[in-house]
Amino acid sequence: MNFQEILEKIKTKHEVLESKEDLGVLNAYIATAKIAAVAAFMKDELKFEQLNFITAVDFPANNAIEVVYHFFSYETADSVVLRIKLDRAKAEVPTISGVFKTADWHEREASEMFGIKFSGHPDLNRLLLPDGIESPLRKDYKNPDMTPLPKA
Amino acid sequence: MIKAPFEMEKISDEEYILNMGPQHPSTHGVLRIVLKLDGEVVTGLYPDVGYIHSSVEKMCENKKFEMITPYTDRLDYLSAVNYNWAYVAAVEKLMGIQLPERAEYMRVMLAELNRIMSHLLWYSAFGMDVGALTPIFYAFREREEVIDMVEGMTGGRLTHHAFRIGGFKNDLQKDFLSRLEKFLAKFEDRICEYEALLINNVILTARTKGVGILDKDTAINYGVTGPVLRGSGCAIDLRKNAPYSVYSKFDFRVCTGKNGDTWDRLKVRMDEMRESAKILKQAAAMLPAGEFCAKVPRVIKPAPGEVYTKVESARGEFGVYMVSDGTEKPYRIKFRSPSFSNLSVLKEITIGSKIADVVAIMGSLDLVIPEIDR
Repeated sequence: MNFQEILEKIKTKHEVLESKEDLGVLNAYIATAKIAAVAAFMKDELKFEQLNFITAVDFPANNAIEVVYHFFSYETADSVVLRIKLDRAKAEVPTISGVFKTADWHEREASEMFGIKFSGHPDLNRLLLPDGIESPLRKDYKNPDMTPLPKA
Repeated sequence: MIKAPFEMEKISDEEYILNMGPQHPSTHGVLRIVLKLDGEVVTGLYPDVGYIHSSVEKMCENKKFEMITPYTDRLDYLSAVNYNWAYVAAVEKLMGIQLPERAEYMRVMLAELNRIMSHLLWYSAFGMDVGALTPIFYAFREREEVIDMVEGMTGGRLTHHAFRIGGFKNDLQKDFLSRLEKFLAKFEDRICEYEALLINNVILTARTKGVGILDKDTAINYGVTGPVLRGSGCAIDLRKNAPYSVYSKFDFRVCTGKNGDTWDRLKVRMDEMRESAKILKQAAAMLPAGEFCAKVPRVIKPAPGEVYTKVESARGEFGVYMVSDGTEKPYRIKFRSPSFSNLSVLKEITIGSKIADVVAIMGSLDLVIPEIDR
């Protein structure tokens, strides 16, 4: 399937806010509340049975954090990226760990790294970071250890 | 990091909590597994990761593209070449660099040698986990030869830093092919020796058959990849399913297991070494002459965009998700590491088995901790 066909198929059942093609891969923006339903649709109907990863990208210039869901189909070897735009100050998105078990750990990681709340997640404890470090992968994160040494 | 993985009121009088790690020898690194036990039977399990989190993704945002390749070695020190590959492939895809044919074949050869190295070390370590101390001496005999070959090519024995953006720094050593041929001539027999020594051993089969059964659907749902997934009977290998580089030109088999138990995962790795040897033979015969590096601009500045490239490493799917904003440094890099997802399934397959089996099951997952923590 090329990206146009996949986009048409998603559009038959769910609303796509915005879409773009990046090096042959479909990037579809989905409404925040719909993500679990669309993920289930991807898995059951379109046979994208593997969720490669979940992560986020911070865009302070647009005051947005984008959550990225990367799917892969073993049958057709196609990839699809679902994206969600969140407000930086109030980053909250429903979990999809009920659909994909692998989302459990990936959401925990994204949560501590970007300060995103995945509502409905069964165990949103810290995964990798110790206490006291908040959202280090946001672009405005400051830490005294990160200042470069003065030039000799 | 987790402080109280189990609520105290949910632990019955018969049960108790045992910490396995972070310094337990069978966790192969700094990993802590909190076990809830009823006598010898595991009733609960909570993996605690992050002890050696080094924030590689954040560091990469402050480095130029060509400076990041060595960091990818250190994610997985046993299969460094494959990790280089996913990264340089991402940059090459963003910049539209076409590799010379020779470089592609050289990459395949190094990656397969690296897979053999990694599986041999896993074989030795797994033997020690379950109490067999001899296999390591057999496996390291061959592993040294492979390391010498890769060292001659790259200069490194552990973190090779083999690949550059666009190809290689230098051509293959003059005697590389003859050494490879000599090695491959005897390697097939040596794998049979390994199997006779450990994998088909009666005591080991009794300890691993029917233990830690992972079924297909659970494996896919948890994002498990690599030999662990193939042990569960899924014939999924990125080299076949989504062939990158020149893998589509080689004739090899995707090795699978039947029952998805611990023994199947061991067997899949042994078979995979045979297939790697087969690929190496073909690649050496097909190796074309020519350049070993493409013409790469002095300043590496990919066009703005996003890319996700993935390779089949020794442990499963390793992927690099990269966002470029058109500057000399990446805007965001995410490493999708196979052991991360493979470890998350541990709870599912361990509950109900004996405490000694936890060691065998964990060994069969072939975890490397730095790539989980990153």
